[in-house]
Amino acid sequence: MALVELSSVTYTYPTTDKPALKDINLKVEQGEFLAIVGSNEAGKSTLCYTISGFIPHFFHGDLVGEVQVAGLNLEESKLNEWVLNVGLVFQNPFNQISGSKFTVFEEIAFGLENLGVKRSEMIERVERAMELTGISDLADRSPYSLSGGQQQKVALTSILVMEPQVFVLDEPTSQLDPIGAREVFEVIKEMSRAGITVIMAEHKIEWVAEFADRVIAMHDGQIIIEGSPQEVLTSPLLPEHGIGTSRYTQAAKQARTEGLFSETTPLPVTLDQAVAGFSGGNHED
Amino acid sequence: MHQKLSFYVDRDSFLHHLNPLTKLTLVLTLVILSFLGLSYWLPTIIFLFIIIPLSFLGKVAQEFFNATVKLLLPVVGFLFVMQAFFHPDGTQVIFSIWIFDVTVESLSFAYLTASRILTMVASFLILLLTTHPSDLMSDLTRRGVSGNLSYVITSTLQIIPQMQVKAGTIIDAQQSRGLETTGNVFNRVKAVVPLVGPLVFGSLVEVEERAIAIEARAFTAPLKKTSLREIPDRAAERAARWIFIGVIIIAIGLRIWLL
Amino acid sequence: MRIIESIRKDFTTMTWVLIPVAIAINVVIGQIVVVLRLPVFLDSIGTVLVAVVAGPWAGALTGTLSNIIWGLLIDPNALPWWPVALMIGFVAGWCAVLGLFKSWWKVMITGFIVAVTAAIVSTPIAVYLFGGITASGSSFITAYLLQTGRDLIPAVLSTNFLVEPFDKIATCLLAFAIIGGLSVRYLARFPRPENVEIDKTERRTQIIIAIVVAVILILIYSYILVNLLGS
Repeated sequence: MALVELSSVTYTYPTTDKPALKDINLKVEQGEFLAIVGSNEAGKSTLCYTISGFIPHFFHGDLVGEVQVAGLNLEESKLNEWVLNVGLVFQNPFNQISGSKFTVFEEIAFGLENLGVKRSEMIERVERAMELTGISDLADRSPYSLSGGQQQKVALTSILVMEPQVFVLDEPTSQLDPIGAREVFEVIKEMSRAGITVIMAEHKIEWVAEFADRVIAMHDGQIIIEGSPQEVLTSPLLPEHGIGTSRYTQAAKQARTEGLFSETTPLPVTLDQAVAGFSGGNHED
Repeated sequence: MHQKLSFYVDRDSFLHHLNPLTKLTLVLTLVILSFLGLSYWLPTIIFLFIIIPLSFLGKVAQEFFNATVKLLLPVVGFLFVMQAFFHPDGTQVIFSIWIFDVTVESLSFAYLTASRILTMVASFLILLLTTHPSDLMSDLTRRGVSGNLSYVITSTLQIIPQMQVKAGTIIDAQQSRGLETTGNVFNRVKAVVPLVGPLVFGSLVEVEERAIAIEARAFTAPLKKTSLREIPDRAAERAARWIFIGVIIIAIGLRIWLL
Repeated sequence: MRIIESIRKDFTTMTWVLIPVAIAINVVIGQIVVVLRLPVFLDSIGTVLVAVVAGPWAGALTGTLSNIIWGLLIDPNALPWWPVALMIGFVAGWCAVLGLFKSWWKVMITGFIVAVTAAIVSTPIAVYLFGGITASGSSFITAYLLQTGRDLIPAVLSTNFLVEPFDKIATCLLAFAIIGGLSVRYLARFPRPENVEIDKTERRTQIIIAIVVAVILILIYSYILVNLLGS
């Protein structure tokens, strides 16, 4: 059985009539890295909130269909049980600071304090998590004194330390400067490499192509295409629905119309594929 | 406007190493003794012979005097002047201005009120100077005070200075756009809306995401919370707290008996 | 047990996160008003806000904590007045439950009830702890009344009844304007969105009237004060 499973999920926010998610079917396996792409208002955030349990438990509204994670059913679970399995990190790093802690170390320990973890174990787990995300040097700083990128790494570490089965990330780099974004990305890659299941909404197509195992594209609350990064990100469905494509794909497409890129070579999504494609070498994905 | 809201000074002293609850009990004892009215000079005696020595014991005398002079004396002084002039009782007039008399009685009443307020706030000042707010709240949480309450207090202490900085920025920005914050009352009243609006809406919008963020970190988990901070508590301190409580009970008993 | 259950329902995570922000709103608006040298306090807008969207108990807690934090860290003279702040939050919360926070003129009634409560609760504190004369500017009025032969308690009460309504009605109107400016979707996250159902088509007008009335009240009050002190 898949770790995460959504069957025929339709959801409407309170005080609205139009569903924000329509008939979503989705499975995510243990250890997989799933990326969600789509234009604004396509339902990416809504899907993230659903998998992480905030829909329906925090936002209320009308949820039809079934959501399961690690064998538990969302509707039968409480939010405070659900969050132990599914961790959530979202866009704005500043608003994810608990606000009640004076140092980064304490900030990361906040979740463990709430779970009643013993002090000695707490310290050990916080240190280990900070090492994995590479922020050990920030331990004694005030969370408010950090840059956006650093704050977002603290947010990731604060969830990581609670050891959830699935990590849901809703455009975690969209409000960061390029350097901060890149750094946060590397941390996410590191977490994925450590075997953590990641579901991430992201609009930077090049990055999605770089490390997602599988991609879904959304439009108007529906999944319009699902498959490997190569398959999904080069699909003509993306530009048709106002979803950006990789600059390598765009370049290759343009080159193709002028006969500079082979018709039989699949369109590239990453730099490596583009280099291989343009130099005439075949590549298999 | 203040930039920093916590008085805490990180030093290595006997007072710093005491359990927060011991200090809190001591403070409450001193406050109750000052207000019970057992003796006219008691608040003064407590201030001079208990609180000031405590500030030296806690190695925060310098900070204590600064805060007392800058923060406490102006407000307590103002109260003293108001009461000296306006307190209605008294026949032995020292001097008068317009219809108001400063009398021996009004002076003595003004001094009593001022010394009580001074002693009350100075006692708390000693606690705040030598106790990290997180330590105080963690210790209280461990003893059964709601962890959510502790969240509210430590969080407030961080939000207020931030919002004060934001308010400063907004006031500057609006003034440079020509908003008048001085002059006649009409101008000043009108200024409230453009100053308060951006400040309030900005901070309220953050509430929803912050609630999601702490919920994601098991804020509402139905478990007994633990604390990263290790707070010492010795048998001697437990005994001391019982003694303080004993003093309070005896003082209240004495007050009732004297009535 | 049902009371405890209903109180618990008011204290959601949204409420716990809102309270610190509301206390900060109290403090910072209170300080802006001082900077602007206005004759009102407006230091319980945040308390009323919590009371309305999260119920009377949350309002009472916000008022109390706000006062204690204000008293310990900013103005020591404020410390003994925490019961007044508690009651402001509590009473504003019940007014909202009774539907008195749905239009600008109902909010004025809430403001008046809150003012009367504040006036009554602060009287024994002023009389017992301060002998009637506090560190507030309004004690000039009390002093004047005392000198002209009034007794202590009536003098303090009359002062409070003169001062409080302007301040508390303006406070409630401004809190109403703030709530009206928040989206229905956002308000629905709080435990008691039904307290603030304002008709959608009227929303803008209601907010504008509330602000205008608040401004007029403060102006009238300034005028009264100037004339009173001038005479």
